[in-house]
Amino acid sequence: MELAVIGKSEFVTGFRLSGIKKIYEVADAAETESAVKEVLDDNNVGIIVMHNDDIGNLPEILMKNLNESVQPTVVALGGSGEGSTSLRDKIKQAVGVDLWK
Amino acid sequence: MVLQDVKPTRSELINLKKRIKLSESGHKLLKMKRDGLILEFFKILNEARNVRTELDAAFELATDKINLASAVNGVVAVKSTAFSTKENPEIELSGHNIMGVFVPKINSTGVRKPLYERGYGIIGTNAYIDETADAFEDLVEKIITAAELETTMKRLLNEIEKTKRRVNALEFKVIPELIDTMKFIRFALEEVERESTFRLKRVKARMK
Repeated sequence: MELAVIGKSEFVTGFRLSGIKKIYEVADAAETESAVKEVLDDNNVGIIVMHNDDIGNLPEILMKNLNESVQPTVVALGGSGEGSTSLRDKIKQAVGVDLWK
Repeated sequence: MVLQDVKPTRSELINLKKRIKLSESGHKLLKMKRDGLILEFFKILNEARNVRTELDAAFELATDKINLASAVNGVVAVKSTAFSTKENPEIELSGHNIMGVFVPKINSTGVRKPLYERGYGIIGTNAYIDETADAFEDLVEKIITAAELETTMKRLLNEIEKTKRRVNALEFKVIPELIDTMKFIRFALEEVERESTFRLKRVKARMK
């Protein structure tokens, strides 16, 4: 399986340098949306790497799907350091206490 | 709340007793499962938190490096170098089982590469690009670890929630209902018994 990276051109260049081949260079929210849908349907992708801001700009439903999806898993990077908000919410919901911080 | 459509008979009472016993043992088992899952979850929680912090740091470092490389070489040069890489990292999913939850174990190959295997020419590029590639390889490695841990957490949390819901449903809905029904049947049976004793007494009185 492979990693996939979705993001703006300055975000993905570095990942290209590290050798990842499944790169989706997107310019706006609409393109991001279609790229995300495509990757979610791709069985060969195990991990999706995205920038936090791009995830935040997705439609609500897709964002939820993305955060709940286990295979592929989404790893969010950068932004305001809130890559773990979805996980944090989930912990709050399941355990009842905010254990993340 | 008494269950609907129960006939107050002795056989029903026996069946009900069996069901209560079963539900109670199920409740106990599920409770243990829930506690076990939470224990596992706590074990992973700290690790995941550390990996998250490391990941954010690695991303920042990598961004700095690529900005520097673009500043020195120009964006186009960095991009064209990036397109010339050959080896791509492969990941392999395997899994193990924590209390009935399938948890992934991700193995990666080909993330870290020595300079000469990266695929771009050494002469046309400079050390900044090498450093950037280094930083990003590091980042990818961290991403893979984070993905593994975070998936594990997600799955565990889903299972915890499910188990919790079941435990609560049994504890607060199913078992009380069954117990109420049992009480209802007992009461009805007693009533029947009293009635028949009284009837016998009346008959006896009349015979005298």
